[in-house]
Amino acid sequence: MSRTPQKELVTGAVWHPPGAEIPDVEEKLYALSNQCTDCNICEVACSLVHSPDGMVNPLLARLKVDHSPQVGRKAVHPFGFAADICHHCGNPPPCAEVCPTDAFYYDPKTNVAVIAQDKCIQCMECVPGCPFDVIFVAPDGELLKCDLCGGEPACVDACATRPEMNNAGKQYVRAPVLFHTDTAGYRAVLQDKPERKDEVGMMQAMLEAGTVSSAA
Amino acid sequence: MITVHAQYQSRFREITRVEKESFEIAEPTMVALAAAITGKYGPAMTALLMDEDSKSLNSRGTLYLNSKGTRMYLEDGLADGETVFFMVGIAGG
Amino acid sequence: MESRLLRVNLTTGDCKVETVPHAMFERWIGGSGINNWIMWEHFLTHDVNCDPRGPDNIFVFGVGPLAATGSGSGIKGRITFKSPCYGIFGDSAAGGKFPYMVRFAGFDYIAITGRAPKPVYLHLCDGDVEIRDASHLWGKNSAEAHNTLVQELGDFPSLAHTLTIGQAGENQVGIASVVSDASRIHARGGGGCVLGSKNLKAIAVQGSGGVRVHNPRGLLNWSKDFRQKIDQNEAIYGFKRRGTLGAVEMYQHIGSHFWRNNQGNMFRGDEVRSDNWVKKFHKYSEVCSADCYIACDGRYKLDGTESEKAKKYVGESFRRPEYLTTASAAGALDLRDWAEVAHWGKVTNDYGIDNQDLSTSISFIMELEQHGLLSARQKAELFDRDNQSLEWGCMEDVEELMKDMVFQRNRFGEFFHNGPYYGALRYSEFRGENFMKYATYGKGGASFTEEMRPFPTWMNNMAVASRGADHLKGIGLIEKFQRRDLSMKYFGRLEAADLSTPVLKGACTAVVENQVALLNSYGVCLFHWMLDPGGYTPEDYYGRAFAEVTGIDRTPEELMRDGERICNLEKAFNSRLGLRREHDTICERWMFEPCPEGMYPGKVAADMFETVLDEYYEWRGWDQRSGLQTEARLKSLGMDDVAEVLAADGALVRA
Repeated sequence: MSRTPQKELVTGAVWHPPGAEIPDVEEKLYALSNQCTDCNICEVACSLVHSPDGMVNPLLARLKVDHSPQVGRKAVHPFGFAADICHHCGNPPPCAEVCPTDAFYYDPKTNVAVIAQDKCIQCMECVPGCPFDVIFVAPDGELLKCDLCGGEPACVDACATRPEMNNAGKQYVRAPVLFHTDTAGYRAVLQDKPERKDEVGMMQAMLEAGTVSSAA
Repeated sequence: MITVHAQYQSRFREITRVEKESFEIAEPTMVALAAAITGKYGPAMTALLMDEDSKSLNSRGTLYLNSKGTRMYLEDGLADGETVFFMVGIAGG
Repeated sequence: MESRLLRVNLTTGDCKVETVPHAMFERWIGGSGINNWIMWEHFLTHDVNCDPRGPDNIFVFGVGPLAATGSGSGIKGRITFKSPCYGIFGDSAAGGKFPYMVRFAGFDYIAITGRAPKPVYLHLCDGDVEIRDASHLWGKNSAEAHNTLVQELGDFPSLAHTLTIGQAGENQVGIASVVSDASRIHARGGGGCVLGSKNLKAIAVQGSGGVRVHNPRGLLNWSKDFRQKIDQNEAIYGFKRRGTLGAVEMYQHIGSHFWRNNQGNMFRGDEVRSDNWVKKFHKYSEVCSADCYIACDGRYKLDGTESEKAKKYVGESFRRPEYLTTASAAGALDLRDWAEVAHWGKVTNDYGIDNQDLSTSISFIMELEQHGLLSARQKAELFDRDNQSLEWGCMEDVEELMKDMVFQRNRFGEFFHNGPYYGALRYSEFRGENFMKYATYGKGGASFTEEMRPFPTWMNNMAVASRGADHLKGIGLIEKFQRRDLSMKYFGRLEAADLSTPVLKGACTAVVENQVALLNSYGVCLFHWMLDPGGYTPEDYYGRAFAEVTGIDRTPEELMRDGERICNLEKAFNSRLGLRREHDTICERWMFEPCPEGMYPGKVAADMFETVLDEYYEWRGWDQRSGLQTEARLKSLGMDDVAEVLAADGALVRA
């Protein structure tokens, strides 16, 4: 199993010394729970994109479809699934902060934190360190964290649209369940339209505002 | 001017919210009827009824029949009082 | 491209792993194609005329190379076997996560022979195989067995996925099915009976391995393009929500349902002939089989308020009924409440039995009752109890007869357990009277709950499909949807889309059979293609994905020939069993009784049947008189070895 940084996807490791000002993440993933259909293609695509030798293996994905979303998560229903995705927390994220060997660096294209496998000692501190339980351990011990694929996430590419996911027929644009969005725009919509509380409503508001970057 | 009737099933009816209605059209053609329907129901109907690439009626998963059970195409004419049934369907399974 | 075949001999307990070489994929593509070859080879060293319930029968499970690679075109696992109910070639598909996990457990093909001395299940885990005691599972229905195994096996290295049989398979009911992950079903042909006869209750898989793809970037690009095509097809949004229930309204209009044993072709009852399932019952989001951009499955849980009969099934939960679940329940049996249709779908799955042949066996008897052909004494003889009511639309009556079949409780269960044709034959012999005109069936004695008399391609499908009457292998979309564009694309003429002529109907079956054989061999679902058969074809568009996954680069013409080769092997198997032109036939009702209602009343299959069959054989390059394959056609497909076997069996025409 390769332990080198994923040079094909991420160009130029940028190491920030402790205490340095790290630019914020500008775009992040967003996944609607209870619209996920458990197709698992996001896991398959993620593993394939990150595999140096063309292997599909959902256990090597940097996101996971959760078959029993926890009580307390929004909009859970009896047959819900949800994609557990990296939240690309504000920099530095908790996973990078707990790392004893400074094995996290920042992709200059996206400012997301990425694990440098050759510096990682597989101590697994980042696993409980992540407040969302989205750092995964591969069967051979490698720690797997979402790197946003350098700005064009493969999981988003792979996610299909659902019948509900349209902006109420106005421009008639559709979006998939997993998409990545401009965080500033998302925050603006949240502030602007607090009544669009349910997830599909939020997504529709973002579509109307033009802040969803992966509409079909 | 002729009067023709449209009846809608499943996905068509989800858009129109009515099961049947009548249209008065100047030209006795499917072209005129299709234009009247898409004009009334907007982009959602256009996406379902029309095929942008081939400029014909969308043929994917759809079936448009006259009362004799013959499939209608854009180049077909319509008689006064005729009904066209707009269906989305699948076979088997 | 290489993969692994697991051979299990349940008599000796031997498990052996073999490599499936690249050359097999070049000749047979994968999935269906390779399954067929494994079975063909087996019967070169075992008697092809063996008892399908005996230890010499083989049960093959296979999953094609596109499955679990993120292609977005869904997954189907395929089972292939000699059919115990029809006695001919048998195969059946089902989706879900089982075939997905088989690949991650390190196998693509499983071939099972022999018979275990007592009930067992197979456990496959990251390349390891164990035959384990299943005495604690025997007697459970397919869902209970699945749930028990999933709990027992835990979640390391992954959750377990299963194939299980229910009580129908355990009791070797001919039309018993194999259930996948408790919710999907390999229904047709009696695969469950084969497993039951081998004392094999289940196959459970867990795995943490991977599947190699030849050209990852190429495949990801293909997938992205495919997803965009799916996402831009507006009609698919209706399919995402309804699945094949989308056929209900359309068929109601054209008169394509199968009502009360095909005495009619429209559903009665306001609830079932409309879209009301979607409005009243469907409360939860769509779910996916696996690896699919459409995700047309759905789940329900009855709270009792949905309909009159829903109060009887409060708390019952299952996946949404599909079209043929509905056609067999609301159609053949005239059950008019959606809650009962849903319940029928669940219990047939739990017992693990084919709803097609079960419903048409019950509807046959109900029609006899309707015509006053069953006295009280005759019913007591048939059911071994007095006063069995046989009312149309009565769920209680249906459930009693279902249990008679599953548990082989009486003559009804015994006579009809191989389907309505053999049931009608045996009952006619028993009574000394000919009741065959009330039985609905096609090739092999298999039945199918749709009205097909106005559709010549469909009637041809029922007569020629390799696994017995089947609509999927040669599916007549061009004719049913009157697609002039597709008729021009494939034949340069319009007649394939014209219901009033036999011309090009047999040709359609021949061409589509080759295409469907490819999809079944790639290991994907048929419906993406069915929703736009002109937009992306198995031989061209999907062929490119096949190249990215396997490194096998073929032109569309070459792939059509590969599909034809696969179809010819299935035919060859049947020829070895003695099938000839006279077996490519359909029941009296379809052939001679006029279609009573709907958009095309008065139609009988006989008007066009022989002409269409002649044309089918002509396109296939087979002998008109006997229906047998010719040496010339087989040689042109590189099947000289198959031709020699057929010649030795007197089943080849040297022309």
